Amino acid sequence: MSFLILENLSKVFHNVTAVEDFNLSVERGEFISFLGPSGCGKTTTLRMIAGFETPTAGRIILNDKDITHVPPNRRNVGMVFQSYALFPNMTVAQNIAFGLRIRKEPEDKIKGRVAEMLALVHLEDKGNNFPHQLSGGQQQRVALARALAIRPQVLLLDEPLSALDAKIRVALRAEIRSIQRELGITAIYVTHDQEEALSISDRIVVMLQGKIEQIGTPFEIYNFPATNFVASFVGTLNTAEAEVLDPEQGILLMDGVRFISADEDVRTKRRGDKVRMSIRPERLSFAAELHKDNVLDCVIENITFLGSVVRIQVRIGNTKFNMDTFNNPFLALPRIGERSKVTCSKEAVLVLKD
Amino acid sequence: MSSNRLGVASDDGRPKPPLLAQPSFSWIGVLPFLLFVFFFLILPSLTLFVGAFQDRDGNFTLENIRGLALPNILSAYWVTIRISVTTALMGGIFGFFLAYSLVTGNMPAWVRSSMATFCGVASNFAGVPLAQAFIFTLGRVGLVTVLLRDLFGIDLYDRGFNLYSFWGLSVTYLYFQLPLMVLVITPAIEGLQREWREAAENLGATPGQYWRYIGIPVLMPSLLGSMILLFGNSFGAYATALSLTGGLINLVTILIGSQIRGDVLHNPNLGYALAVGMVVVMSVMMVIYYALRRRSEYWLKR
Ligand SMILES: Nc1ncnc2c1ncn2[C@@H]1O[C@H](COP(=O)(O)OP(=O)(O)OP(=O)(O)O)[C@@H](O)[C@H]1O
Ligand SMILES: [Mg+2]
Repeated sequence: MSFLILENLSKVFHNVTAVEDFNLSVERGEFISFLGPSGCGKTTTLRMIAGFETPTAGRIILNDKDITHVPPNRRNVGMVFQSYALFPNMTVAQNIAFGLRIRKEPEDKIKGRVAEMLALVHLEDKGNNFPHQLSGGQQQRVALARALAIRPQVLLLDEPLSALDAKIRVALRAEIRSIQRELGITAIYVTHDQEEALSISDRIVVMLQGKIEQIGTPFEIYNFPATNFVASFVGTLNTAEAEVLDPEQGILLMDGVRFISADEDVRTKRRGDKVRMSIRPERLSFAAELHKDNVLDCVIENITFLGSVVRIQVRIGNTKFNMDTFNNPFLALPRIGERSKVTCSKEAVLVLKD
Repeated sequence: MSSNRLGVASDDGRPKPPLLAQPSFSWIGVLPFLLFVFFFLILPSLTLFVGAFQDRDGNFTLENIRGLALPNILSAYWVTIRISVTTALMGGIFGFFLAYSLVTGNMPAWVRSSMATFCGVASNFAGVPLAQAFIFTLGRVGLVTVLLRDLFGIDLYDRGFNLYSFWGLSVTYLYFQLPLMVLVITPAIEGLQREWREAAENLGATPGQYWRYIGIPVLMPSLLGSMILLFGNSFGAYATALSLTGGLINLVTILIGSQIRGDVLHNPNLGYALAVGMVVVMSVMMVIYYALRRRSEYWLKR
């Protein structure tokens, strides 16, 4: 049996359905992300696990115990908030010790645990500081230490990094992940940043309007999106209207340009059906290898330098496609307005589900 | 610290030119404020202070100050302080709970805004109209007194209540003290983050423990500030008490009034001395307040 099970979980506020029939099984030690646009119910689901919201329907089972109606202060789950929520009247050490003091642990044990937690988040010398004397990143580390100090069964994080600037965000998310691995703790991480979710998670739950769209590893979510929404929300995606020309051969026609697709779904269509075709930008490349399935005439429309990657916008027929190539300082970039050829394999051409 | 500052001033080994080499006119902006302070604070205080040490003919004397030790004057100070402390504490505590339920209770917006308006008005309702209102409701033949007696057989005055007493006056003061507390403490309560409470609960704390370890300590500076305001508010009250009890209760402000208005007791210099005494009491309260405030704000300083 899984460690944490959310069973047919729903939450309705007045007349707003925030979460609808949510089912998820989390294994012990797993790192799960809830990913979705604003208002899709990520926070609400997390707050139901923490006990701050009572589900309208469904059950929450943690370590074989039904905790659906256990009050938050007896659940032993740790929570990290977007706003850090450190107690301003307590020092860093007192903040970390709070949960242990409430549990009436002996003072020498508390001391040891606080030192251990401070070391874990690399703030050994900040124990006597007050929260307002720390940077945002440091405050969030303290909040993490405070949540972990009580040895929670599950660690819940609600967009813990969204108030921090980009560099710290990337560094701290790697740190959170390594601490989680080190302690082997089960974690649920809420984010609306797809890159963050892809980089940090064992599995991602993609949500839309209170419902689960897809549950899968980052690899599955990115490469095999189950729905149109997942395909377009996670990563960048080129999409275009096309018509099925030959279902057997997987031939599609877009603006009079022929594409060959290996997508099984094309076989189920009939000639003349309209479909939405999709290609990831990194699957397109300049036509150095002309043996590929699709070789397409194009015009260079725009070039954006993103650092390690160069994003080139090309027009094929009347439709613009983004193409990502690795930056290579020894290869000249094409010029805007130039005619060229791009290629992609037939496996790269997917048809979105309706 | 100071070495730091010196270092900045002479980092190239030579003293910097004086900063005020060019005439600055920025002080003109503060002029109205300085004039106000001079005419409405410093000048009256000086008059009071000087007057307290003069006799009727303007000669120096300690007689007025010695007069403060008279039994009826000492008792006036004592009653005034007691009533101010009582109404500050009661108004402070009940006002806090009222404000808290207004902020956290899921009340419709119009209830909150009309409550805020009401508190704004009520906290300024004092003097003769307030006294009259209380006499008409809780006086010997007031509406509430009579209704309680005739409908429920409860005779307030038989049971020891008297509007024209210490407690009667306290209840009347509470009519403006309580809303004033609501007004001044509401922003502080709104400043308590919901996440603090949730984080505390998440770490195992009960609501009581949240209040004990986080809520109250965080609010303490504002609570103290509000209560000192309430204390001052009733310490200086005059017209309400005078028109309610007609001088039956011996408040310092009423004594001052009778020294300065020309009746039998007329002795303005004793009045000045009484006022200086009030300034001293208020200063002592402020010192206590600052001491408490510093202690309760330990986590903001450093
Ligand atoms: N206490 C509440 N009362 C009424 N409606 C609520 C409440 N909390 C959330 N909602 C609604 O439930 C829906 C889901 O909200 P939720 O906060 O879970 O979204 P989210 O995915 O966390 O979004 P975000 O990325 O903006 O944080 C929203 O439509 C929101 O307006
Ligand atoms: Mg949210």
